[in-house]
Amino acid sequence: MSKLAESIAAGKFVVTAELGPPKGTDVAHLLEMAELLRDHVDAINVTDQQSSVMMLGSLAVCHLLRERGIEPVLQVTCRDRNRIALQSDLLSAAVLHIENVLCLTGDYVTLGDHPQAQPVFDLDSVTLLQAVTALQEGHDLAGKPLQGVPAFFPGAVVSPGANPLGPQIAKMEKKVVAGARFFQTQAVYDPAQFESFVRQVECLNVPILVGIILLKSAGMARFMNSNVAGVTVPDELVDEIGSVPRPDRPAKAVEIAARLIREMKGMCQGVHVMTLGWERYVPQLLDEAGLGQ
Amino acid sequence: MIITEQKEFDEILRSLGGCERVFLVGCGVCAATWGTGGEEETREMAARLDEAEKDCTGWVVTEEATCDVRTTRRLLRRNKEQVAPADALLVLACGAGVQTVASLVDVPVYPALNTLFLARLQNLSVCDERCRLCGACILAETAAICPVTLCPKGLMNGPCGGYQDGRCEVDRERDCAWVAIYERMEAQGQRERFMVIREPKDWREDRHPGFINKRQRAPS
Repeated sequence: MSKLAESIAAGKFVVTAELGPPKGTDVAHLLEMAELLRDHVDAINVTDQQSSVMMLGSLAVCHLLRERGIEPVLQVTCRDRNRIALQSDLLSAAVLHIENVLCLTGDYVTLGDHPQAQPVFDLDSVTLLQAVTALQEGHDLAGKPLQGVPAFFPGAVVSPGANPLGPQIAKMEKKVVAGARFFQTQAVYDPAQFESFVRQVECLNVPILVGIILLKSAGMARFMNSNVAGVTVPDELVDEIGSVPRPDRPAKAVEIAARLIREMKGMCQGVHVMTLGWERYVPQLLDEAGLGQ
Repeated sequence: MIITEQKEFDEILRSLGGCERVFLVGCGVCAATWGTGGEEETREMAARLDEAEKDCTGWVVTEEATCDVRTTRRLLRRNKEQVAPADALLVLACGAGVQTVASLVDVPVYPALNTLFLARLQNLSVCDERCRLCGACILAETAAICPVTLCPKGLMNGPCGGYQDGRCEVDRERDCAWVAIYERMEAQGQRERFMVIREPKDWREDRHPGFINKRQRAPS
């Protein structure tokens, strides 16, 4: 059984981090970051061609983590593969003992570095979750029986800051019905807004890992405010990170993130930390957030 | 309505190549309404060909849609004195119209338009694509707003996480189709329909090339 699933079931406040595979075959840095995180987190997400940029595959990297005894979360998007390839890759993950599967729609192709590519989206995040559920029940989407049945811990994503929020919550509900057993959220910078979101989805009774992105600079905050859907960094935080000189920014970023985690810890079942290259600050962040292991 | 745009004149000239005597056919339905192949545009095309030292043997605009073989055949016959001397026909209609004409004559037939999409006409300047002709209409389940057409990802179960202030991730100038569907369903008291999980699309219903012979259909 997935260790992540066990920890959540045991009521532990879980911590997941995220790594993006490189463009190319040199995984030295990636594995170094994974080693740095291994004793501090319950699992590490591996992104699937994040932002539609062609990278080394998530499945291969998850396998490398698994070989090293690190619990991976395989991110799977619907952008690049049809239902045949997606189901096949899920089976491949299962035989490589990768159980945590995060099902996402995926960004549109034109956002990435191969904007000419044919977008697939044969399944969507809901029907991908249904595919995971079907495989676990011993058959594929066509109803054909499987020889050897995989076990997964399927997860999905939700954006608590989406505007409007109604359709976001409605879709989250569909994901739960389709088999999502945990959620990781888009980055949250407003605990009050998160609290209101959590209240609205309490009835779904599904574990939520709140998303935290280390705020590296005021410029990054402003960029996210204008370009990243569902992410709003309040002005006070933009000013706070902007008020310190560059060398002090990591410490300030950690301080802000730790404060956010402490404020939201009681509202959810875990935290998903997206560090975007600042993996080395994760141990310090978790210490300051009172989650040191 | 089928939306078309006129090709660059240079491209038209290149496709005509060595053909000197050209007969023009415009379409009196979609292309006429949208202003790409009606009487005015066909007449203008004839004049431009004339300037380019082609010999325009004549022109017609089909009263019905050019893609109707029956009426277009009759019209070409009625104008056979101008059609016969032409060594090429240039058609200001959608791709179906061009191929309809091509099926009725032996000389080369060339398109003057690019065929873009099937649209709702808001006025004579603004139209927006509304139907992808996917062969399995789900508008009953989506508040009469088509996500196959209007969501760039063609999602079947609600919006992705990329919408912002109700706008689409791919083009912030456009409304997110699924937010619009959700809001219309809410307003119509149909939230429970939104919550139905729609199965992945059956692409076998996307029957291309399409062909129907009603007489050959098995009696039900």
